[in-house]
Amino acid sequence: MPLPLQPERSVVTVCAYCGVGCALEAQTRAGRIVRMLPWKEGKSNHGHSCVKGRFAYHYYNDPDRVRTPLIRDSIDEPWREASWDEAIAFAAAGLRGVQQRHGVRSIGAVSSSRCTNEEIYLTQKLARAVFGNNNIDNCARICHSPTQFGLSATIGAGAASQHFDSILQADVILVVGANPTEGHPVFGSLLKRRVRQGATLLVIDPRRTETVSSPHCQATVHLALRPGTNVLVLNSVAHVIVTEGLYREAFVRERCEWPEFERWQALVSDPRYAPEVAGPEAGLDPEAIRTLARRYAAGPNSAIYYGLGVTEHSQGSTGVMCLGNLALACGMLGREGVGVNPLRGQGNVQGGSCLGSWPHVYSGYRFVSDPEVRASFEAGWGVALDPEPGLRLPNMFDAAVGGDFRGMFIMGEDPVQSDPNQNHVIAAMRNMEFVVLQDLYRNETSKYAHVLLPGSSALEKDGTFTNAERRVSRVRQVVPPLAGLQDWEVVVRLMNAMGYATQYRDAGEVLLELASLTPAYSGLSFELLERIGSAQWPVDAKAPEGTEVLHLERFPRANGLGTFMLTGYVPTTERCSERYPLLLTTGRILTQYNAGTQTRRSANSQWHPEDVLEISAADAIARGIRDGEQVQVSSRFGSTQLKAVYSQRVNPGVVYTTFHHAESRVNALTSDRSDWATNCPEYKVTAVEVLRVAAPAGVSAASTQASEVLA
Amino acid sequence: MSSPAHLHAPPSAEPAVMELERLLTMAGQIGDFFAPYPPERAAEGVRNHLRSYWEPRMRAALLAHIEAGAHGLAPQVVAGARLLQDEAAAQKSYYGPPRA
Repeated sequence: MPLPLQPERSVVTVCAYCGVGCALEAQTRAGRIVRMLPWKEGKSNHGHSCVKGRFAYHYYNDPDRVRTPLIRDSIDEPWREASWDEAIAFAAAGLRGVQQRHGVRSIGAVSSSRCTNEEIYLTQKLARAVFGNNNIDNCARICHSPTQFGLSATIGAGAASQHFDSILQADVILVVGANPTEGHPVFGSLLKRRVRQGATLLVIDPRRTETVSSPHCQATVHLALRPGTNVLVLNSVAHVIVTEGLYREAFVRERCEWPEFERWQALVSDPRYAPEVAGPEAGLDPEAIRTLARRYAAGPNSAIYYGLGVTEHSQGSTGVMCLGNLALACGMLGREGVGVNPLRGQGNVQGGSCLGSWPHVYSGYRFVSDPEVRASFEAGWGVALDPEPGLRLPNMFDAAVGGDFRGMFIMGEDPVQSDPNQNHVIAAMRNMEFVVLQDLYRNETSKYAHVLLPGSSALEKDGTFTNAERRVSRVRQVVPPLAGLQDWEVVVRLMNAMGYATQYRDAGEVLLELASLTPAYSGLSFELLERIGSAQWPVDAKAPEGTEVLHLERFPRANGLGTFMLTGYVPTTERCSERYPLLLTTGRILTQYNAGTQTRRSANSQWHPEDVLEISAADAIARGIRDGEQVQVSSRFGSTQLKAVYSQRVNPGVVYTTFHHAESRVNALTSDRSDWATNCPEYKVTAVEVLRVAAPAGVSAASTQASEVLA
Repeated sequence: MSSPAHLHAPPSAEPAVMELERLLTMAGQIGDFFAPYPPERAAEGVRNHLRSYWEPRMRAALLAHIEAGAHGLAPQVVAGARLLQDEAAAQKSYYGPPRA
């Protein structure tokens, strides 16, 4: 065996994939990354990592990387290479031109959870201080925006109440609409370890996931509910807790608004939420609902972990409120081993949420419509700010189709692939007069862009990420940016070119500025992170090295009390019909990541070369579909082709696929229905029909797909 | 991309920020959430939601539709949207997720 090559340099940084945010040691030799090692001192991973963080780093110097700025006058023209100066001037003139023709509010920006806190903060500043409007959103809009809304309504803070290690104190673990074994693998391992030690595992998920059943780890109760019935089932769980007197009255009286508890109690006591009524409606055994409710309430320490299976629904925010209500009613907050914890998808979704890339709040979740808050940002930034909330991402596309919204700066996102109802998004992109995209690669969205600025990956820049447990860690530059500039430097150049003079020495100076305007981040600095490694917000005068568990004595609401929201069940309007009799739901697998932009450019693709459609044998046989056969999947919104695979993980009536490959066009199927409060798309429920494809002999099904996206 | 004729805002309104049908669906969903609350709180909840989260052109289009007869809107949505025009309601200066 040859000895491994000795690295010349070693840098500790944070993984750019999921919300666990593992600390990794990146080793380089001759200026190239040769190894990624999980770092033992990392407080979220303790020396563990998964096959994405460990192996899927080659994307950074993939031949596909955009290495030079590209510009063009119209999307029908070929790209022209340009210098940074030329491209930035072109972008600034293009965006200002749209505003001159169509008004100040006719352009907007979108930031990405793949970018650092500093970059996300600067992008909101670009929109608010330089564009002069609040049309700024981020990709959490389409994943965890209901978390912020639903948790702040009930327990006052839209973030995980616990640190990951807290699960080692839990007696009961309730997982709702999440599959941490695949989606958040390092945390998934910690969860399984606790189950092996004897904790009870309860799962609510339409699919028999790896979390439900895998070697050495079995759920005690699994509610395989019909997609779209979360709120019904969670209200039914609450019904059992309330009518059987399982709630903790002392906790509710001391820490919550009692009259609101009584109102909620009356709502969920309604016979329509009795398991015997709600269970059959959701496709569940009533007794299983009762068992789950009793186990959760009994604790003594019960912890909730949930994912996009809760949020990506027309009642996503209501579903999150249900979880907040349950934890409050059973006294499962304010100590180790309990809590309500969103499992965030991307590495920096929590940071994206915290740092003001929202049309209605500045960094720190403070409302643009609030005069006092606005005054503090006006003082900090030296400009007058728009007092009105801006357009949300889906509304930007709606307004682009309508003609009122004409230009965009998109940082590190591919909405044409990742946003729902793809045909609608493409119509919107085509309608816009000027689109600036910053990304690592040409993607589906770059087909509709006028400027493509080379992005820098997390391996090429300095800054911070905030993981799903509120932990802020240093992102450290491992290799220089391929195209010469870090993303935050590009945003600063664009600000200057658009007439807002500003300079920062380094990303650390941006962190100091955002800390001065964001209470929960006020104590953060590169110096602190050098000294203690990482810190969970709030990091402030009261907690100079951060806070592991929230809500110890009070909830961060005006009166310090938790409260109960009325969570009536409103079925989604996306329904099965004779024409679309099956429900499609979506998820992720271990080796690939989201839209696959990075992982598909690594050998990880050998583990998952294509997305497949999981279908029950009963549904397949009824349609004459053989295992492994190519099928046409159609919804009211569009259609695509996938390979069907018989699966015992899904119940009859439900089909499932992943969305890691652009060719799968899963979002050609998804609807434009969205969460009532946040417009988070209802990705998890789409009525579809699945039919055999009679492919002509010798022609592969993929090559018969004639679609605009592939063209 | 046109919506049924009866859904169009009156001709005096500015160009629609988005399809009225979509706005009415969104307003209806907000109304559905607040339906279990007593009428006064439901209206206040709708008002605060629209004020905190809806871009002004979206609010204006909804109000124009209400002035034109409020076709298809639940009472708590109409009452909540009307509060947007009421200075006294603005004095409460409450923003954010619904207050229980």
